[in-house]
Amino acid sequence: MLGFIKKDLLMIKSNIKILAILLLIYLVMAFQGQMSLSFLLPFLSVMVMMSTFSYDSYNKWDAYVISLPNGRKNSVKAKYLATIIIIILTTIIITILSFAVSYVKTNIIDFGSITVTIFGCLFATILLQSFIYPAMYKFGPEKARIVLMVIVFCVAIAGGIVTTYFDLSPLIKILEFINVYWLIVIPIAMILMLYISYKISERIYFKKEI
Amino acid sequence: MENILEIRNLCKKYNGFELQNVNITLPKGMIMGFIGENGAGKTTTIKAILDIIKNYTGEIKIFGLDNRKDEKKIKEDIGVVLDDMFFPEILTPNDINSVMKDIYKNWDSELYFKYLTDFALPKTKAIKTLSKGMRKKLEIAVAISHHPKLLILDEPTAGLDPIARNEVIDIFQGFIQNEECSIFISSHITSDLEHIADYITFINAGKIILSKTREELLEDYGIVKCSKEEFEKIDKSDFIKYKKCKYEYEILVENRKIFSRKYSINTIDRVTLENLMVLMIKGEKEC
Repeated sequence: MLGFIKKDLLMIKSNIKILAILLLIYLVMAFQGQMSLSFLLPFLSVMVMMSTFSYDSYNKWDAYVISLPNGRKNSVKAKYLATIIIIILTTIIITILSFAVSYVKTNIIDFGSITVTIFGCLFATILLQSFIYPAMYKFGPEKARIVLMVIVFCVAIAGGIVTTYFDLSPLIKILEFINVYWLIVIPIAMILMLYISYKISERIYFKKEI
Repeated sequence: MENILEIRNLCKKYNGFELQNVNITLPKGMIMGFIGENGAGKTTTIKAILDIIKNYTGEIKIFGLDNRKDEKKIKEDIGVVLDDMFFPEILTPNDINSVMKDIYKNWDSELYFKYLTDFALPKTKAIKTLSKGMRKKLEIAVAISHHPKLLILDEPTAGLDPIARNEVIDIFQGFIQNEECSIFISSHITSDLEHIADYITFINAGKIILSKTREELLEDYGIVKCSKEEFEKIDKSDFIKYKKCKYEYEILVENRKIFSRKYSINTIDRVTLENLMVLMIKGEKEC
């Protein structure tokens, strides 16, 4: 298992220079007030992990990995664990940098606002990855991108229809509840999303004809 | 003799292609060459052995164990080289060592680095910078560095120049020095197998059409070259296939000595795996 996690992390390490340059560009933009660094969290985490899927697919790693002991089982688990490691690392880096930017620009660190924004971005990251991974395992990186775009489009249309034609009071009550208990509800939701996503991906991969 | 690999009635259906009742037996300490043209079913059979493909029927036993039930135990003792399937190419040979030592219980880093040195492979260069021959040698080094008992190789010499192919064959011969070890090697480069294989199994259109020892094939089988008049005198049951060439007939016979006693035709050559393959696939039987 550890070997499979290492493989993903070593692949990410190979692209560390590009990632560092990207981070630097965003840092400069953040200092100029053009964007918030927090939004880099979902972008970086998703991009980094998507690249591992693309490399895997390009080199037909999926077939090779199954020839290794417990390959089919451990490679999916390892992908999710590597994702968690990357999300934690990215969150730490982005949080520290956000504090630094806030301090340099205003001479004070706005802990409350930064933490809430990062928390929101963290939720968005996990939500996005929970949807993307099963699609990646089912369709492969190329087709998965198209499938995801279709899903996002359909969700947007459905959202539009719901907000226009349906009574939203139950949804507002849920949001009010989350607003009060967000510190408990959101972490639980993130863990649940990742777990369900992992189980779906595992099932897809076990049945997949490679 | 103990069998290291046994395949019984393996079937797998795709749209437009079918593996039909594939039966293969590889005794311990032997090398089996698995030949056939492109698309004959070699890779599908290997993928079934490794349980990479799904929904196949039949029984596959490796080291006497079921390939699906005892998958983890079996795969600890198998080394594989698959056609165009390997580690992502941004990784380096050093990275592979770091990954593999946490995957195989018996991974031997010292042996792996010895192979890298022996094969003159760089440790810190990304796989994508290696030549095809170097990459193949790296794949082989990875496949044999955890002391496997069985090597499963799918087209390990495809696309290599003769020098690199020769080096790769030498590696396999070194591996087989240990009599506990066996190799199952698929290839359509038949000349490589003529040097190293103890058994030859021939698959065509998803069916095993021949499985014999190399001696039986290369010593007994023959290619008769004769004129049309001579050909017409030969009993159909005395040959396997024939091919009409520009000036002569080429006839594949199962036992050239018996044939030469029965017919007074002088030109009977020993068969090579290549012309055996061509005649078996392209040859005709009906006169």
